[in-house]
Amino acid sequence: MASLLNLLYQCGDSFAFLVLSALGLAVIFGMMGVINLAHGEFIMCGAMVTVSVARLGLPLPVAIACGALVAGVIGIVLERLVIRHLYGRPLDSIVATWGISLIATQGTLILVGSSLPGVGTPFTSVSLGGNSYPVYRLLLIAVAVALLGALYLLFNVTRYGTVARATIALPHMAEALGVDTGRVYSLTFGLGAALAGLTGGLYAPTMTIVPTMGGTFLMEAFATVVIGGTDVFIGTAPAAAVLGVVKALATSWEGQLIGQVALLVAVIAMVRVLPRGVSGWLLQERG
Amino acid sequence: MAEVPHRNRLLAAVLLAAGILAAPAAHAADPIKLGVLEDQSGDFALATIGKVHGIQLAAKEINASGGIAGRPIQLVIYDTQSDNTRYQQFMRRVLQRDKVDVVFAGFSSASREAYRPIVDQLNGLAFYNNQYEGGVCDSHVIVTGAVPEQQFSTLIPWMMQKFGKNVYTIAADYNFGQISAEWVRNIVKQQGGHMVGEEFIPLGVSQFSQTIQNIQKAHPDILMTLLVGTAQASYYGQAHAAGLQVPMGSSVNVGQGYEHKRFPPPTLANMYVTTNYIEEVDTPASKAFLGRWHAMFPHEPYVNQEAENSYAALYLYKQMVERAHGSTKRDDLRAVIAKGDVCLDAPEGRMCIDPKSQHTSHTIYLAKVNADHSISFPKVWPDIKPYWLGDNGCDLTKSDPHTQYTPSSPPPKG
Amino acid sequence: MWRLLEGPQTLGRGRWFWTGFVVCLGIAAGYPVFVDGYTVGNTVYFFDWVFMALGLCLIWGYGGALSFGQTAFFGLSGYGYGVLTTDFGAAHGFTLLALLLSVGLAAAFAALLGYFLFFGRISGVFLGIVTLSVTLVCERFMSQTAGPEWHVGAARLNGYNGMNAMPPLTLPWSGGDIVLFPDIGLYYLVLALLVLVYLALRMLVNSRFGNVLVAIRENPERAEMLGYDVRLYQLAAFVIGSALAGLSGALYTSWGQYITPSSMGLNAAALPIVWVAVGGRHDLTATLVGTLVVLAGFQALTIYGSQYALVVMGALLVATVLLAPRGLVAGPVEALLRRRRPGSAR
Repeated sequence: MASLLNLLYQCGDSFAFLVLSALGLAVIFGMMGVINLAHGEFIMCGAMVTVSVARLGLPLPVAIACGALVAGVIGIVLERLVIRHLYGRPLDSIVATWGISLIATQGTLILVGSSLPGVGTPFTSVSLGGNSYPVYRLLLIAVAVALLGALYLLFNVTRYGTVARATIALPHMAEALGVDTGRVYSLTFGLGAALAGLTGGLYAPTMTIVPTMGGTFLMEAFATVVIGGTDVFIGTAPAAAVLGVVKALATSWEGQLIGQVALLVAVIAMVRVLPRGVSGWLLQERG
Repeated sequence: MAEVPHRNRLLAAVLLAAGILAAPAAHAADPIKLGVLEDQSGDFALATIGKVHGIQLAAKEINASGGIAGRPIQLVIYDTQSDNTRYQQFMRRVLQRDKVDVVFAGFSSASREAYRPIVDQLNGLAFYNNQYEGGVCDSHVIVTGAVPEQQFSTLIPWMMQKFGKNVYTIAADYNFGQISAEWVRNIVKQQGGHMVGEEFIPLGVSQFSQTIQNIQKAHPDILMTLLVGTAQASYYGQAHAAGLQVPMGSSVNVGQGYEHKRFPPPTLANMYVTTNYIEEVDTPASKAFLGRWHAMFPHEPYVNQEAENSYAALYLYKQMVERAHGSTKRDDLRAVIAKGDVCLDAPEGRMCIDPKSQHTSHTIYLAKVNADHSISFPKVWPDIKPYWLGDNGCDLTKSDPHTQYTPSSPPPKG
Repeated sequence: MWRLLEGPQTLGRGRWFWTGFVVCLGIAAGYPVFVDGYTVGNTVYFFDWVFMALGLCLIWGYGGALSFGQTAFFGLSGYGYGVLTTDFGAAHGFTLLALLLSVGLAAAFAALLGYFLFFGRISGVFLGIVTLSVTLVCERFMSQTAGPEWHVGAARLNGYNGMNAMPPLTLPWSGGDIVLFPDIGLYYLVLALLVLVYLALRMLVNSRFGNVLVAIRENPERAEMLGYDVRLYQLAAFVIGSALAGLSGALYTSWGQYITPSSMGLNAAALPIVWVAVGGRHDLTATLVGTLVVLAGFQALTIYGSQYALVVMGALLVATVLLAPRGLVAGPVEALLRRRRPGSAR
């Protein structure tokens, strides 16, 4: 019983990490076709803002919101300055965003220094069946699920969501119908960046805050997005679930290295079986 | 907040320029050129910027008091960006283009292994001023950092006596972590304890839920944490949040990445570290050293063991050159080392270069991290020697294998 | 056959271009006499990487398939060279054979992986991510091989610290092999290889094979309708390009007598893409020049720019993509050619 509970917790923990790592990247990639190699730096930005604000004495949720907000605003600015000119050139956008990530990492090192003091993880842990589970990490699982739901609602119920999906599907038609597609792209990129910032803020209390911290999220984020395919809402959750289970099982079976390798091998195998990702497959099944 | 470190570096650059410009005016002799290859950007910058500052401070002091054998020191500094290929490029550059007399280089062991073939091939002399997994037997390299036998043969028996005999190790899954874990395993066995678990974590991993549960299940008395890099440092916060409160021992934390300054207390409470220097060391020599340091670099976040090693290494080099009557030739310097009495009263205490392995003996401090992250020193061991290489057949005064040995592949017998 | 040296798929033709080519070659051949050993060795280091860039140019620029994992072949071949020469020594010019064998190893691995990818119809961004995953798996795996159990013959893989002290390239010679340390000897060998590979690739892309490859890049469905097996052509380009990455890997390993898992990591994997994109991925000459310029420029920035080097590098990349989307080298040249020949389509 205890070990089953353990495994469940491990899977949930991996799932939350994968979902939160991937969401921002998935929105930007799925909606705009841009591969954002600076994704990790948005996460880093969110985390840095979060700890800075939290150390001013504001409550952690407010600090996390500030982190997401700042990352989002920077995202919108970057979209206006750079990304806007690269639509339809996904491979060039890889180079440009890699350049941005270099500037962001090293610029942060120069301006902020090599690390920021962290804030402690809030809450304690609950004991169940001889093991203790940190409350904050359980909370992260809940937040991941809630975010997935909120995004689904945002894109399927609100006016912005409808317009955004119309813009992605048929940009020229949307434009002809009077949609300001430029604004939609800006907002979508900003949303992706803000989600990345939110992830940074959420994980900030559990990590060391250094300029290169974004890198640790990148591989998991890419894996989830690739397996998920282009439709964020259908793909990301099942992809993260599959990978989360694979990673948790492999890690508890043979240690962290095998967990990492299993994750990457699962990606390669899944891409071979479902070249268009989980969402491509699901859409196809649906007809 | 954002501007301070920036201004600090600007100030440092101005001071350095002043130091270098002032020196040639005072001395007509040709300068002794010292190449410095350290990671001032990238992953390792946090722990290595202080090494450069240590060298700059020592150079300024030595130049102000007449240089080495009457010759001023000229620093040739490159930023290796935590990138092994940069070490290869710049090691060639300092040796072939800048024609330096000696090089102080390298943080990670990978970077040292990257430049070592080049130093050997181009017949240079390098100081590796870093704590590492031990075993380099190469006449072209002098090591001033501490090695496992110095840190573990002191730390583990002390901890086992105090806390109990069941030890669990988590270590970074690469050379340093694996070899250090091997040392821990051997010493625990010697002392009659047993390992209740051992786990290796790939570099770059930042999520530790599974590892923490494994440790909780094993109920160890002592947890050895040989984690490396900023990502793995996330372990401590996560373990603390999970309520894990086993006494921790380490050879890398605190002394290198000053985690106790960076993490909110009491994340690291009850951690025990053996190090040959940290800025909390409370001796008159250490205090005077820190005073001089902060006069030159007022905004230094922390003076770690590598910073002190780098500072002391330049004074060791000065002594060797002066005793070799001003020669900077490697053979002449090694003839001085062979006498076995190249010793220095460094900020940490006395340190001497061992002729067989060209490693350095140290004063080893046992640093305890308290609940408020202040440091106390329950024990100090003076003059701990780097014995493993010499005892196992590496004798650079007789042969020069240019090899790194490990406990599982020791030097060939005979 | 020689007429394939120029054609629709390569920039540069006619007397002026080839005169320039010969002049450049002459300068390259003569210049080691005038500079110090460091510059010669450093130039060899730059040349070592160009092969991988040219290979990626073929796969990505001509074939339209972005591989993010060329460093996997680079690393595999580098380790291959290290293991072979450590186990069998350097006598009788064995190092040259080891070089060939390790390139063959890279090509074989590329054929296997490429079959899986292209015959699985994986394309576009997904191809990039899968190849990136492959190189990262290789890096993670090699990083933990520090223990004594990881060895091939006498050669320890030595984990994250990397293998070192393998013999450099040697030439068999009467009265003892000539050891090619990174100096004039190695320089001429690598220069000769570079010229050979460059000219051979020019002929390849202007041949029927190259034309089909470009047709696939422009419109895979159309090429398929015309009866070409798209998968086979892309696979062939992938294998050739990866073999060149392998050549880079083995040369780099012999240059520094060192190979490490981090040469297959994320940062290393991104570099070839940067070189090719900055030079201009649609053309071999642009890639060649661009790679050398970026390598030398970034190194100079690191030497003189101190901590701002990485910031300036990033800014340069962004500026290149925004202002010269066809590449810093290819873009201006193409613009110039268009001005001179207003009627031409390209």
